Amino acid sequence: MTTLDAAAASSATPSATTPVAPAPARRRRRSVEGRPRIAVAFTALFFVVLYLPIVVVVLFSFNSRKSLSSFESFSTRWYVQFFNDDALLSSLRASLVISGVAMVGSLILGTMLALALERVSSRPSRILGTTALVPLVTPEIVTGVAALLLFTGLGIKLSLMTVIIAEITFSISYVAVIVRGRLSAMSDDVEEAARDLGCTPFQAVRLVILPAILPALVASGLLVFALVFDDFVLAFFTTGVDPQPLPVRIYSQIRLSISPAINAVGTCMMLVSILLIAFSLVVPRLFGRRDSGLDLISGG
Amino acid sequence: MAASTRDTDVEPTRTRRSASHTRLWGWLLLPPAAWMMAFFVSSIIIVVLLSFGHVGPTGRPVFGASGANYAALWNETYLSVFLRSVVYASLTVLLCLLIGYPVAYTIALHGGRYKNALVAALVIPFFASYLIRMYAWSTLLSDEGLVNQALRWFGLSEGVRFLNTPGAVVAGLTYGFVIFMVLPVYASLERMDLALIEAGKDLYHGPLRTFFAVTLPATRAGVLGGVLLVLLPALGDFVSAQLLGGPSTFMIGNLIQQQFFESQNQPLGSALTVVLMIALLVFMVFYLRSTDRQRRES
Repeated sequence: MTTLDAAAASSATPSATTPVAPAPARRRRRSVEGRPRIAVAFTALFFVVLYLPIVVVVLFSFNSRKSLSSFESFSTRWYVQFFNDDALLSSLRASLVISGVAMVGSLILGTMLALALERVSSRPSRILGTTALVPLVTPEIVTGVAALLLFTGLGIKLSLMTVIIAEITFSISYVAVIVRGRLSAMSDDVEEAARDLGCTPFQAVRLVILPAILPALVASGLLVFALVFDDFVLAFFTTGVDPQPLPVRIYSQIRLSISPAINAVGTCMMLVSILLIAFSLVVPRLFGRRDSGLDLISGG
Repeated sequence: MAASTRDTDVEPTRTRRSASHTRLWGWLLLPPAAWMMAFFVSSIIIVVLLSFGHVGPTGRPVFGASGANYAALWNETYLSVFLRSVVYASLTVLLCLLIGYPVAYTIALHGGRYKNALVAALVIPFFASYLIRMYAWSTLLSDEGLVNQALRWFGLSEGVRFLNTPGAVVAGLTYGFVIFMVLPVYASLERMDLALIEAGKDLYHGPLRTFFAVTLPATRAGVLGGVLLVLLPALGDFVSAQLLGGPSTFMIGNLIQQQFFESQNQPLGSALTVVLMIALLVFMVFYLRSTDRQRRES
């Protein structure tokens, strides 16, 4: 805010001293057509800082030396080490299984929730609709503690299964919000028409609604996969000892000693999520829609 | 008023629909609702119940009805951590606003045809593992890290101690959650009629006054949403204080994590979690009331 105001203020001062007539035109051109240089520079700096840690991790994952501060020469030794480390590989597999199962589970439950909330307009469903949003605004540490106590209280041994259950609980709301946004944009006259033409309710869902919400399903599925794959806090509280999900394994390694192999793992992890998210952003276009996936994610 | 008339307009189509149809939707609600009850609502209830319990003789947590855990939190050590958490989280919110607003403003008003690409560029790194990005900062800010090397190379300083300082923790939180401020502010700027700014400039003379009299009030909803979205994760975070800070900068999240994984005192950890939940609920109620007031005003 301050930088912009400074930019704005500096462009305003000349107009106060120069003759009255040309001033308004100049001011307007500056603020609307031209770009205030300070604001643009500030935003550019923001993006540099935003990407700096990512660039550093990727760069040093190719460092030949065991240093995180000086780059010697290009080498893939840390990747070789990663792909020969059985513990890390089993963690990678565990994370892929967790994300995949959690994605399918939360897609099914989240879509059911979205359909029911959007089409039943009773008081209980409105209350449930609000309740379904609560996990979105609950800090993960609270959800994690709660899930841990639930599982230990019920005597369920912590394992991949408990992580998956916790991740599904956390992801249902994401799917429900995204799919519901798509559904509310779509008139229910279409399914009415399908019903008039002799569809059973089940056929109306399968033939009319599902194809219409497919982009939202794909986008939210990819989003959930990426979120769960990266999720550290929930996994940390609900995982068993072996195999641990990748973020939990990385966390314990970071605390023990700093190893450049973490950079190689981190690069692979970030690559997976970034590709998934980038893909989910272009999904609506793949389905021939002009809107971008950003609307799906930001809920706009 | 307007809302209720609209409801009656919709009514005929709603009743026309066959009973079996509505029942189908009702059935669809059952599995997700049951899941959320079984794994979310019940788990939160357990946390609240266990916060009144104690550690049994075998080391296992036992339910009870004593306020001993809450009484134990009422001492200088815990209170200073609570205070620190609130101060760090508030500073984070302030920094996110001071950094996020200009960025959202620049993209929304001057992004031109790169607008969507810029927003995508904002969103994408947010999905790269938070843990890895925090780890990267811890290496960047270390005594021999690249930031200190750069400072030395430019002759600006002989080395600055970044890690284990409150500044590093707040910076880490700001870095991690600034996107939650940029997106809602951006969305509210996008919804705003830009002619208003033009009109404001003619009316108020000067972009600074226009900003405070027109733009900021018009984007109030986005700012409030951003404040809440940053505050929620910032107050509960423990990764930033763990990787960029030390015991002297620990926040409530670190205490919770310690009770569960080091001290094995789950009832005390539950009481800490309940305190965190109450603090967040207070902010949430405040947020809902202020958005409500805004809706009534407009």
